[in-house]
Amino acid sequence: MNTKALASLFAFDFWEAFDSISWVVYFWFYFAFQFFVYGSLMANLVVTVNNYFFYYGAGLVVLLSFNVASWAGRRFVESAHEGRLRYLLSLPIGRGELFVSQLMLGVAVNLTRMVPPLVLVLWLSGLFTPWALVTSVLVLCAIATGIIGLMVSLSVIAFRSFDIYSAIVAALSALLIRFSTINYPISSMTAPYAAVSEFNPVTYGSDLFRRALGFNTSLLIDPYLATAVVVALCVGTLFVGMFFLSHVVEGVRSS
Amino acid sequence: MAVVGCMRPFLVDSGKVRATYSLVANTLFLWFLRGEESGSGRMSMDAGRGTSPPSEGGTANAVETKGLTKTYGKTVALDNLSTTVEEGKILVLLGPNGSGKTTFLHLIATVLKPTGGTALVMGYDIVREPQKVREVVAISFQDPRGFWRHKPRHILSFHASMYGVSGIDRERVVDDALREFQLWESRDKRFMTLSGGQAKRLEVAKLFVHIPKLAIFDEPTAMVDLDGKRMIWDKIRSLKEKGSTVIVATNEVREAEYLADRISIFTRGREVVSDTLVNLKDSVRGGDVVNLEFASPVDKETIDAIRELPGTEDAVLIDTAKVRARVSRSEDWLPSMTSALYARGIRLASIRVEEPSLDDVFMLHTGSTSVGSG
Repeated sequence: MNTKALASLFAFDFWEAFDSISWVVYFWFYFAFQFFVYGSLMANLVVTVNNYFFYYGAGLVVLLSFNVASWAGRRFVESAHEGRLRYLLSLPIGRGELFVSQLMLGVAVNLTRMVPPLVLVLWLSGLFTPWALVTSVLVLCAIATGIIGLMVSLSVIAFRSFDIYSAIVAALSALLIRFSTINYPISSMTAPYAAVSEFNPVTYGSDLFRRALGFNTSLLIDPYLATAVVVALCVGTLFVGMFFLSHVVEGVRSS
Repeated sequence: MAVVGCMRPFLVDSGKVRATYSLVANTLFLWFLRGEESGSGRMSMDAGRGTSPPSEGGTANAVETKGLTKTYGKTVALDNLSTTVEEGKILVLLGPNGSGKTTFLHLIATVLKPTGGTALVMGYDIVREPQKVREVVAISFQDPRGFWRHKPRHILSFHASMYGVSGIDRERVVDDALREFQLWESRDKRFMTLSGGQAKRLEVAKLFVHIPKLAIFDEPTAMVDLDGKRMIWDKIRSLKEKGSTVIVATNEVREAEYLADRISIFTRGREVVSDTLVNLKDSVRGGDVVNLEFASPVDKETIDAIRELPGTEDAVLIDTAKVRARVSRSEDWLPSMTSALYARGIRLASIRVEEPSLDDVFMLHTGSTSVGSG
């Protein structure tokens, strides 16, 4: 692997992603508003979960992490339509390295946006320890990697039709978030809702994340199973994404 | 030289005629020299058009394609292309919209994957060894896009780093390129604020922060002003002098004439002809227009005599002492014409030869009236 080229490409992309700091600040304000205002209202309504305010806060971190990871995948698609991808494809780097650089970018952007909110939730909930911070960050990275891999894999659709890609991603995102434990634990769900949620990798990701934070374990799925599912999601989407980028993706058709 | 000497008696002594004599004498002298070199008796116009003859013993090919094909569903973008690009030369691609020029460039830059056929770039297979190909090829795209927030200095520096140009050298070559391509003042502006011409110059400049073995330019001077065009052309030629092979797709005939060692004309995904500019112009039957001005009014027999000469497509009287003839290969036709007139004792006041333009060549091979991007 050409690590120098990989580092150059990552730095080039990362610089652009963080060129506008105002968007990052806006993102943190959005999180704070959602957490304090909407979280407080929700905490008054949901009485089946103890300390739901912080349960919601942790779920919000996973939700926004999911969104940022989706952004990284969408950015890859947009880069194809804007003419940037063909340039990247012409550079003397392997397709694998290109894929890894996109993952690194997504994870790095995810961490820089999500770590401050994560620290806030940990601090306010009284669960802050260095160990909790490190393990929860690792879990977030794993979730982000899996989602980016999924979105880049789906980008193959976008080369045929951006509209179809957008529709599929929007529907898939909604399903993955709604039918998961991001907002409610499985024990609080109705039977059909819970049955579907148990097949959702995001359920396992969010429960593993809460376990890493140190939440009440009685509400959460078995950590070994959750770890296995999250790792499988990462490895699976990495392989699929790598395969598509190596064998299918090419510069968008010239005019 | 005897041929030149025999022309003297029927040329009158005036300034105009002296110029004409000079033109004909030079033409015949070049024809004579070329005949000695090649033994073919064919006149070469290469020297005057900046092209060079093939090196002795032949040269390696920078690009070799066999049946290279690219389809999108039922649309055939490139159809069974088998061609070569000689190493160290400049090949210019001309063709109407959708003729497959850009597709060809993207295929050999490994940006696109072929549907069929093979291509070797500097000896590397574009399908089996794409990474090796990308190490020796660099491409300047038709429309510079996708950098938005980046600045010219960062873009060039990044590009150089990807091709292994190290720290101190990188700073120097980037600064040089920014100055040479008149981007120094804009070096720290965001890409999205650059004008179309500046963005295009930046796109071209990327290929000058390292010297690729195969440099590909897709319409390098589109959106660039006249001064900028000449500067870019000279820079592209300098790449050749540094040993690079260059492929240029363009819709500017002037650009093709200025740059090309060889021109390939594409239409409907196929390469219909590929040759030197001189040979392409020679291929236009009756493409040379020869305006003859006589010392005295000419009669019908003289015009008929001109019409009967080998290579004459048409000859018309446009004034009492002026005839316009459409001929093939005027360099062959002129000696026989002058001999025929000499035999009839007819004096010429002047000869003016107009060659077919590259537009004429293009129309001949494509049936299209204009060159366009594709």
